[in-house]
Amino acid sequence: MGDEKKSYKVEKMVELLGPKLSRQVVGSLVGCVHCGMCNESCHYVLSNPDDPKLTPSYKADQLRKIFKRYYDWTGRVFPWWVKADPPVTDEDLEELKDIAFGTCTNCRRCTFNCPMGVDTATLNRITRGLLTRVGVMPEGVRVVSKDSWELGNQMGVLKEDYIDTIEWLSEELVDEMGDEAAAIPLDKEDADVVYSINPREVKYDPRTISKAAAIFYAAGENWTMPSWGWDQTNFGLFSGDDALGGATYTHLAENHKALRGKLMVISECGHGYRSTRCEGPNWSQTDQDFVMESSVITMLRYINEGRIKVDKTKNSLPVTFHDSCNNARSCGFYEEPRELLNLVTTEFREMYPNRAENYCCTGGGGAMSMSEYTPNRLASAKVKADQIAATGAKIVVTSCHNCVDALNDLIKHYKLDCEVRQLVDLVESALVLEKQVEIPEVPEVVAAELSLQGQKILVVDDEPDVCIFLSTVLEDNGATVLTAFDGKEGLELARKEKPDLVTLDLSMPGTDGVKAYRDMRDDGELADIPVCIITGRPELRELIYNPDIKRPDGYLDKPITEDTLLRNVRMIFELSA
Amino acid sequence: MEQTQMGSLLHTAEMVHFAAFGVMILVYSIRLFWLLRFKAGRDRQMPGERFGDTSISPAVYSMMNVVMPWAMESTRKNLLFYLSFVIFHLGVAAGIFFAFVNSFYPPLFEIPVVAYAFMAMIGGALLVSIIRIFRRFISSVLRLISSPDDYFALFTLTVWFALGVPAVASMVGIVEGEIFLVAYLFATSFFLVYVPFSKISHYLYYPFTRYYIGKTLGHRGSMPAARAQV
Repeated sequence: MGDEKKSYKVEKMVELLGPKLSRQVVGSLVGCVHCGMCNESCHYVLSNPDDPKLTPSYKADQLRKIFKRYYDWTGRVFPWWVKADPPVTDEDLEELKDIAFGTCTNCRRCTFNCPMGVDTATLNRITRGLLTRVGVMPEGVRVVSKDSWELGNQMGVLKEDYIDTIEWLSEELVDEMGDEAAAIPLDKEDADVVYSINPREVKYDPRTISKAAAIFYAAGENWTMPSWGWDQTNFGLFSGDDALGGATYTHLAENHKALRGKLMVISECGHGYRSTRCEGPNWSQTDQDFVMESSVITMLRYINEGRIKVDKTKNSLPVTFHDSCNNARSCGFYEEPRELLNLVTTEFREMYPNRAENYCCTGGGGAMSMSEYTPNRLASAKVKADQIAATGAKIVVTSCHNCVDALNDLIKHYKLDCEVRQLVDLVESALVLEKQVEIPEVPEVVAAELSLQGQKILVVDDEPDVCIFLSTVLEDNGATVLTAFDGKEGLELARKEKPDLVTLDLSMPGTDGVKAYRDMRDDGELADIPVCIITGRPELRELIYNPDIKRPDGYLDKPITEDTLLRNVRMIFELSA
Repeated sequence: MEQTQMGSLLHTAEMVHFAAFGVMILVYSIRLFWLLRFKAGRDRQMPGERFGDTSISPAVYSMMNVVMPWAMESTRKNLLFYLSFVIFHLGVAAGIFFAFVNSFYPPLFEIPVVAYAFMAMIGGALLVSIIRIFRRFISSVLRLISSPDDYFALFTLTVWFALGVPAVASMVGIVEGEIFLVAYLFATSFFLVYVPFSKISHYLYYPFTRYYIGKTLGHRGSMPAARAQV
């Protein structure tokens, strides 16, 4: 393979590998003895034992082949002797993409099980980075990277939407607490705590922001949230693009310094914590010159210092804890969540194995944004499902948004009898306020107050099951629901009925959702009707997030839950009111 | 006459052996120079929460990994494999020691207990290497990841061990003549020249990889790794 004429992309990849060769990386490239000890450490292997191509050393060998062929002496002279047969054509790169992105979550479990200390996860990330630089990557990675570069956050949240959401949550919280001091401060200078979050919280799970805000309020914290540079997550970690990683970290760090914040608190997110706390300074080539910590440590400190009071009997269901790979293996952060759980729950059950030996949630490494690999991901989740089931816990707690989504997915897929929560949920529900005022769940309050009575909603989806599900949930909550099974029918119905909201699937036969969406936005009568995209193909997102058309008012990835649907629909009505 | 010829051949084998050793030193020096030319990455972040919790430096701890089968799940759950690793590498060390020391001080190996101990160590390694050959052929994973270099290194080491046992045995008269000793020294010479170009040189890289992984993850507080607790 190596003697054939290389494609331009391969040439470029070989050239780009050179600057990435640090002493640590070269050590990992030359140090593998192919002993196979890493094999059983990988959740892909454990769940699919008959596929040898899932073994970590095979995945790392893909980069090793390039290195040996072009940078190492034996491979340059006798490539066949050391199997230095690197990719040659663009088709080879497509295969390499499927290996690097589709069969590894960079969880680093194999790294910790390699007798030689070979950091296979880092090698796989480098492979991803090289592929990304030559434009070979899953569509989801491309879309999210584009959003990160253009909008400074990985979910394409516009600044005005972010501020609207925070203000909405702030007003809700002030109402709940009956105290103006409970408001969420934005861009407050000289705060003791600057709170950075995951865009998923703004988009799909705003209650986690409210809950954190309630805890800061209860602790009497002098805190703020920035209006820019607030995304602590970093897709550079997943795509292997150090430049993106550095830029994202720089947004965060510069804004923190501009606000003259004392401590940056990072909300619960595994890859966000790792990217910000551990990798960001390296990617941006700047020494870390301000202090940051996970919100888990902050909450634990509040309890230990007596700044907040908690009643653990409020969380009486058996809970177990899932260590995020990035927190535990890459940041040494695993005891604090357990200490906190023991303070706010009555029955904590350890999952086995745990801490640095825990299995990946199977959604790490950006796997949740790569829908083409979903079947592989869910198949590889069997070992995790078995691990959770063995605890008998009713709640799986994790400190990572990615893990929340992946665990929810596998719980549904393997029909486990439990739900996923984060520590902020449990701390907030155990919170005892001085005035003994219970803090109701924000979404539940919204659900109770904002009936959909009188709202006409058009559901456009080609899958009958989805249509039935959406219709039932919306009708049960008072809405009048119309359904259409393709874009054309949806447009006709929209023109005729002028609904208050349209939920739109993107991938449909005939007139698909992308065209229907564009036609709606171009139609003077329909242009202002709020649209919530509900799709199982996030890679199509860029087609509706094109700068030349008005953005959708909401966006949900399938599968969706009743709670998520209602929360988002209500938020859209709130914001458009 | 035959004895004189064999003595001369043995002398030649020893000379070749030391020349090969010189070549190995030279090639390894070049290799080390090459490795050190790559810039060492630096950790710019502040130390992790758990940094400094252990009395031993994480980098040193990481390098000691080889003698701590309990430190990794992969060795903890495969103690037999770890034991075979120990036997294999003890045999390698014994074989190298024998090849060099015997040239300077043969009487050491004329002591029966020493000779038997070395025969046991090299013989044990021979047994393990035969098992490893089978393992490499039988396991679909190992077949997939193995290169000709992996197979060749294992085959030639097996031959080397197979020659080593009678070579040591000849020192105490269990085996007649010096033919095995001569063959063993030539085989060792071959290895000394070949090893720097093969996977067998992994022992040169071990301190690098383990030092850096220990240093990097230790700085973040995740090395020494937290073992699973029930």
